[in-house]
Amino acid sequence: MLIVLGLGILWFSGVCAAILDGRRRWVGFASVAAILAAIAALVALGMNVRDEGPQTMTAGGWPSGVGIGLTADMLGVTFALLSLGVLLAALTFEVFNGVRSQSFPALVLLLGAGLTGVFLTADAFNFYVFFEIAMISSYILTGYGDEGRQLRSATIFVIVNLLGSAFFLMGIAALYHQTGRLDMAGIAARVALLNPTSVILSAVLIFTAFGIKLGIFPFHFWLPAVYTGTRPAVAAILSGAVANIGTYGLLRWGGGMLPDELHTAAPMFFALGVISILYGSLQALSRRSVAEVVAYSSIGQVGFILVALAIGGPAGFAAAVLFAIVNAVNKTLLFLSENLRGWLTGFAFAVGAFSVAGVPPAGGFLGKAGLFQVAAQDDNWIVIALVVVGSVLSFIYMFQIYQRRFWTPEVAESANAVASPVSVRAVVVVLAIITLLIGFWPEPVLWVSEQAGQSFATTRP
Amino acid sequence: MNNDMARQAARLLLLPTWMVAFAILIKGYSDSGDGFSGGVIAALGVIMQYVTFGTAVAEKLRPVRYARQIALTGLLLALATAFTPVLRGQSIMTHFPGPNEHATHIGSLELTTPFLFDIGVFLLVMGVCVGVFDLLAHATRRDRS
Repeated sequence: MLIVLGLGILWFSGVCAAILDGRRRWVGFASVAAILAAIAALVALGMNVRDEGPQTMTAGGWPSGVGIGLTADMLGVTFALLSLGVLLAALTFEVFNGVRSQSFPALVLLLGAGLTGVFLTADAFNFYVFFEIAMISSYILTGYGDEGRQLRSATIFVIVNLLGSAFFLMGIAALYHQTGRLDMAGIAARVALLNPTSVILSAVLIFTAFGIKLGIFPFHFWLPAVYTGTRPAVAAILSGAVANIGTYGLLRWGGGMLPDELHTAAPMFFALGVISILYGSLQALSRRSVAEVVAYSSIGQVGFILVALAIGGPAGFAAAVLFAIVNAVNKTLLFLSENLRGWLTGFAFAVGAFSVAGVPPAGGFLGKAGLFQVAAQDDNWIVIALVVVGSVLSFIYMFQIYQRRFWTPEVAESANAVASPVSVRAVVVVLAIITLLIGFWPEPVLWVSEQAGQSFATTRP
Repeated sequence: MNNDMARQAARLLLLPTWMVAFAILIKGYSDSGDGFSGGVIAALGVIMQYVTFGTAVAEKLRPVRYARQIALTGLLLALATAFTPVLRGQSIMTHFPGPNEHATHIGSLELTTPFLFDIGVFLLVMGVCVGVFDLLAHATRRDRS
């Protein structure tokens, strides 16, 4: 029952919120409460997974393998909780800030339902359906604000991601044609029996689709325009929650269903990851606005996730999950605090900046340390050098933008002119404290990502 | 379309279209057809009014005015049918009465929870199609003026 509880709460409350006017404060707070309830349900589900192993439910009470199933393992629950946490922060931020459109809370809730479904489904086609629920909500969210800038970025976002969805659907159709199955375990079992060369094209389509979602190097072109054009809360949602589909998708489909193909593609992933890191960092160095720097830095940070995936194995996957968690928290914090003014916003932004750079007390160093550790075990000097170079570059561009934003006299003066509401700043400060907590008390996050990285040991036949 | 014949036909055909749509929904349990295609056909009946009478007349129809409510009611009904078994400790979308259990019949129609689910889908699809068409009609009218 727990497995669908969070999904049900979000879906029902999303539909109810769609009837109401989301600009009213109580609707906003009720939506925040709904996300909190869903998070509580998922935490309880996570406890069960920890104690009893993966939980499953087959729709309609059919035997498993016949009916459409849901499976919750550590990987799925982790990503669902991470995404809902980001949605919670962004929605609370926007409710305190004043919601501008009737549909905003409803869309965030439906996006949450779609994401939870993506992370908990055990069926390839249902993955696509939930994926579309999430994507359609985020298409409309990207246009939130209804100004020219937002509508322009929404157009880019929709066109690029529809292309990604089409690739993904073709990939699923091809896999179905080859294996005759749509349940993920079934596909994995049949793919293992097939000649890898016959599956490689489907794998390429699917990996490309997730690459577009993530915004890795050759597919990054949409990302800066979209992240800088949307409103901060939406940018946080896109980079902290929606981008998780990409990481999770590569892990679930690559690690869980197409492991041989992932292994074949590893050098490619590695190369793309390296290019993404260097390209994103160098572009970020040359930009002057906060949103642009953070957007380009996203391209760079995602490169690290790809490198971790290319290393592969439970340790590599764990590093990828760890990096995804830390990156989502960082990006949410940075996008939400970019335009705030007043006491403590500088602190919050600095924590986010140091976290991206990987400076110890902030949580971000964990992701890089994890990757460093994995690389050191294999004596993989290229990765070690890459982590160091990437960290140095990100330190330079984050510090540069921090200086420009908070230390330039005229900017600092206008900053004192209108302070943002205390409640809005409180959201950001809480996020900053969470980032610091992850750094000071890393055990829970490390444990969760380690468990998540091992998810495939059980699902692989 | 300024044609008396078309207007008469459109007005006369609205209710039969809905009748056919509902028949296709019910027929789905023994033959091809389901709530989705029924909903599309029901919406086509309304869209026919747009084409023949124009936006100003058509949007006074009740299914158009309440398109949003129809769609959301349908979605809630379908979701409620899907999630209610969960509250009873069963899997999601488990239908009631179960296989080989007694179900009330109306003619050849068995009253089971999947029927409710299909009505939800029917309303959702109809509401969304009509709503989207109404938006499109308004968009083109705005462009012209």
